[in-house]
Amino acid sequence: MTARVLRRIAVTAAAALVAGGLSIVDGSPAAAAATGYVRLAHLSPDTDPVDVYLTSLANAFPRKVFPGVAYGVVSAYQQLPTGTYAVSMRLAGHPESENPVLTTEVTVAGGKAYTVAGVGKNSELGLKVINDDLALPPSGKSKVRIVQASITAPLLDVSVAGGATIATGVPFAATTAYQNVAPGKWTLQLQPTNGGQASTLGAELGSGNVYSLIVLDKAGGGLKVELRVDARRQGGVPAGGVDTGAGGTSRGSALPAILGGLLVLLVGAGLIVMMSRRLRTRRA
Amino acid sequence: MSRAPTGRRGRRRTVFAALVILVVTGAAGTLAVRHALAATPVASWVEGSFFDLPLTNPATVGGGATGPPTRVRIPKIGVDSSLESLRLDRQNELETPKDYARAGWYSDGTAPGDPGPAVIAGHVDNRRGPAVFYKLHELKAGDIVEILRGGAWLTFHVTGTAWYAKSRFPTAQVYGPTPDAQLRLITCGGEFNPSRGSYTDNLVVYAATTGGF
Repeated sequence: MTARVLRRIAVTAAAALVAGGLSIVDGSPAAAAATGYVRLAHLSPDTDPVDVYLTSLANAFPRKVFPGVAYGVVSAYQQLPTGTYAVSMRLAGHPESENPVLTTEVTVAGGKAYTVAGVGKNSELGLKVINDDLALPPSGKSKVRIVQASITAPLLDVSVAGGATIATGVPFAATTAYQNVAPGKWTLQLQPTNGGQASTLGAELGSGNVYSLIVLDKAGGGLKVELRVDARRQGGVPAGGVDTGAGGTSRGSALPAILGGLLVLLVGAGLIVMMSRRLRTRRA
Repeated sequence: MSRAPTGRRGRRRTVFAALVILVVTGAAGTLAVRHALAATPVASWVEGSFFDLPLTNPATVGGGATGPPTRVRIPKIGVDSSLESLRLDRQNELETPKDYARAGWYSDGTAPGDPGPAVIAGHVDNRRGPAVFYKLHELKAGDIVEILRGGAWLTFHVTGTAWYAKSRFPTAQVYGPTPDAQLRLITCGGEFNPSRGSYTDNLVVYAATTGGF
């Protein structure tokens, strides 16, 4: 009888404690998405198409192949787990058993992006890892940079048609830093620094977006210019987090739960002591 | 008389056992309060099949679905909700769904399936109990989130989850531009501050159409 009563007290106390303290998730900090982005590019005007292999050194995912990449091709970004990857290049169609023409490694950090590009003239071809800064531009701005892969215009000036200069003397095989510019419709003019035919390009830049202006040699002469959206978003940037909860499943602060728990323990212990005393008294 | 000592010892044992039960359940109770339902989010990766890299960034996925998203479905946690339209308020903060049982899409922002970070927010609870995103913390890398847009279901894979103190919310990371179609599911957690009427933390679940590696 006594044991049953005690057990009932214990069970009730525990139930009260758990019920009173029921709460939702813990706000412990944790790892964000541990991913980055990699894309591949062929920016060597006189190099034949190549097959590009991307291998995770940590075996984070199966090897990827990017077949028949010709001059001027810039692949889509691939979202990848963080870690180090080997990039190797063979002439298109050559078997994997052959030694690659070029190899390099790219280490992907969380939230970062990279373009691994074959750059330079074929005689001095190299694989270059370019850091792409896809971070949110300052409020109300777009970010643009120039990827210069034209050998017919070994030095290039870029300006707004009839307006401000954006960059001067950008050398072949170079990539400029990103520049913050006002969004909107632009006509860009590209002029070889040492003379020659200029090219123009209509460009519409969206606020908050990141662009690469890729300058290539056009087959048959002149420049081929492509404005590439590296990263985009839409709408105003929300300020901070979101207030999505009314507290109905919360314990509030942990303190009341702990105090409540202690109180239940004290009362329970008191009852037990009282009862065992009463039992002893009755026996005596 | 001969049974008395045994009886007393028995009762003492019962008393002792009851005390132990009380202490253990009591302690477990308070601990459980803090950790039982707390999913510790750990980034993990899903094995995918071999595939070739695409040549160009797709403008959209899911057969070029257009128009606003109308529904979100998360099979693992039993979410199947129509979507409210959310805007920014005067402080530029994201509004929350008026209906605690429905999720909402930030409709001035990226639409799910378009390149960029599409944002969907839902309440974790109302004043009395769980709301639409109560179990969002149970999601792990690889889990599927489906969005109905223009009559087609778009499939996203969870790539990671993170808890952030609202006071240190990484705006650029969550809302910044992305090369591909991304999804951010957001709800609340952490401590509830009754005087402010809000939770201290946000849970952000990151998902992508390309998330299944």
